[in-house]
Amino acid sequence: MRAYYRFPLLFLLPSLVGFLAFNLGPILTSLLLSFVAYDGLRPLGLATFRESWVGLENYRRLLEDPVFHKAFFNTLFYVAVAVPLEIVLALLLALGLNRPWPGVRFIRTLYLLPTVTSVVAVGLLWRWILNPTVGPVNLFLRWVGERMEGAYGLLGLTPPSWVAWLAREGPGWLSDPAWAMWGVILASVWAGVGLRMLIFLAGLQNINKEYLEAASLDGANNLQRFFYMVLPLLSPTVFLNTLLAMIGGFQMFGLVYTMTGGGPLDSTNVLMLYLYRKAFGVFPFEMGYASAIAWVLFLILFALTYLQWTLRKRWVVEEA
Amino acid sequence: MRLLGRLWDSLVYLVLLAGGLSMLVPFFWMVSTSLKAPGAVFDLPVEVWPKELHWENYQRVLTSVPFGRWYLNSLVVALDLTFLNLTSGAMAGYAFARFRFRGQGALFLLFLATLMIPVHVLIIPLFILMRNLGWVDTYYALILPGLFDAFAIFLMRQHFLHLPRELEEAAIMDGATPWQVYWKVALPLAAPALATLGTFTFLAGWNSFLWPLIVTNSLEMRPLTVGLAVFQGQFSTEWTVLMAGLTLGTIPPILVFLLAQRYFIQGLTLGSLKG
Repeated sequence: MRAYYRFPLLFLLPSLVGFLAFNLGPILTSLLLSFVAYDGLRPLGLATFRESWVGLENYRRLLEDPVFHKAFFNTLFYVAVAVPLEIVLALLLALGLNRPWPGVRFIRTLYLLPTVTSVVAVGLLWRWILNPTVGPVNLFLRWVGERMEGAYGLLGLTPPSWVAWLAREGPGWLSDPAWAMWGVILASVWAGVGLRMLIFLAGLQNINKEYLEAASLDGANNLQRFFYMVLPLLSPTVFLNTLLAMIGGFQMFGLVYTMTGGGPLDSTNVLMLYLYRKAFGVFPFEMGYASAIAWVLFLILFALTYLQWTLRKRWVVEEA
Repeated sequence: MRLLGRLWDSLVYLVLLAGGLSMLVPFFWMVSTSLKAPGAVFDLPVEVWPKELHWENYQRVLTSVPFGRWYLNSLVVALDLTFLNLTSGAMAGYAFARFRFRGQGALFLLFLATLMIPVHVLIIPLFILMRNLGWVDTYYALILPGLFDAFAIFLMRQHFLHLPRELEEAAIMDGATPWQVYWKVALPLAAPALATLGTFTFLAGWNSFLWPLIVTNSLEMRPLTVGLAVFQGQFSTEWTVLMAGLTLGTIPPILVFLLAQRYFIQGLTLGSLKG
C-alpha cells in the first residue's frame, strides 16, 4: 500500500498536546525546580527561578539530611529483600504452573487476584492481617509456637525462649520498628508475586520445546534440564523481570502510606514517601528540595537500567 | 523410580494448590471481618467466620462517609481515562503505522523515551500546572494527564502494523480520506488490541493512588482509593466498617479481571516483554 506521505497532524494532535503539556514540560520544570527553594505557594514564573535560585544547595542538603539517609537505606533494604524473594518465588511458581495440571488456569488465577487489587486495599487489609493479637498471621504463628512447646514438653526439654515468645505473643509487626519493614515486605510479596509469575510463564512458553526434548533424549534429568537449558534460555526474562521489580520497588509508596505512614520511628520511611511529605504533606512545602530527591531517585533508576542492559549483553543467552 | 516421580508430582501439585488457596486467606479475612459485630473483633478466641452476619457494617460505610460519591468518582475517572487513552493512543499508533513523514523515527523514539521517566519526576510540576490552570480538585486534573501514553501508542502501532493492508487499500481506491479509512476500516479491526489496552487502563485508573491523592482535596472529589486511605483514621477503631468498604472497593477490579482475564494477561505480557 502506498503510505500517506504527509504529517498526520490530526492523528497526532492529542498525543502531541499531552506529551508537551504533561510530559516534556514537567520534566524540564522538575529539573529546574531542583535548583530553587520553592514553597509551592507563590506563583511559579521566570522571576521565581531568578529570585530563588540556590544552585546545588538542595543536593548538598541531601548529603546531610539524616531522614533522607534513613529513607534511602530503607528503600535499599526493601528492594534488596523483597525483589529476590519475589523473583525466586515467582520463578518456582511459574515452573510449577507451566505444566498441564488439572485446573491449572484456576490456580494461576488465585495467585493473580492480589495483583489486580489496589495498593490501598492491600495496605489497609494487611494492617488488619498483621494485627499482633487478632490477625491471622500471628494467630498462625502462636498456633505453631504452642505445637513446638508441646513437642519440647513431650521430649522432656525446656523450650528455648523464642518458642515461648512465639507461643505467647509473636512479632509486633507494624508497631515494632524492628519488624515493621518485614510486615510491609510480606504484604508487597503477596501483592506482587502473581505479576512476576505471569511474566515468567510468558517467558517459559516462548522457549522452544524442541531444545528440551532433545536434552531429554540425550538423557538429561529434570534438574540438569533446568540449570543447563531452561534457566539460560529464560535469562532475558529473569533480567527483565528483576529490573521491573527493582524499578517498582524503588518507587514504593502506597503500601507504606497506608500500612505504617513511614513509622514507627521512620523505620519504614522510603524515598517516595519522603518526597511526597516534602512536596505536599508537611507544611512548609519544599518543592525544590523534593524535586532534588526525585532526580536522585531517577538517577538510581537510570543507572539500574543501564547496568542491567550492559550486564545483559554479557550474561544473557539469546535464543537464536 | 516411576512411583517416586508420581509422588513428587502430587506433592508439587498439592503445594501449588495450597499456596494458591493461602493467597485467598487475606480476602477471606476481609470479608469475614466485614460481617462481624463491630465490638467483637478483638475477642479471643477469634471467630473465623461470624455466627451472626452483621450486614449493618455495609450500611455504615455507605452512610458515614461519602462512599457512593467516591465510588462514582473512581468509576468516572477510570472510564474517562480508558476512553481518552484508547482514543489518543489508537490515533497516534495508526499515524506511526501507516503514515510516512519527516522525523517519524525521531518522534517515535522521543515518545518511547518517556517510558523511562518515572512518574515521581513529573508529579510536582504537574501539580503546579494543575494549580495554575485552576484544575486542582476537578475531574480535569484526574483525567487529562492521561492524554499521552507512550505504552498505548506503542501497543496500537504494533497492532496496526500487523493488520493486513488490503481492506484499507480498497477503501482508499474507493476514495476514502485517511480519517475515514482509520475510523471505518482500521479501528474496528483493532478491537482485540483496544480490549487489551482498555482492560489494562481501566484497572490502572481504578487503582491509581498517588496522583489523585495529590490533586484532590475535598471530600467529594476523592476517588475510592484516596478516600479510604485518607479516612482510615476515621475508621481505625471500626475495622468491621473499613473491611466492608474494602470489600466493596475490591469487587470492580476483580470482576473486570475475571471477565477480561485473557486481555489483561496479554496486556501485561506485552507490556513487560516489549523490551
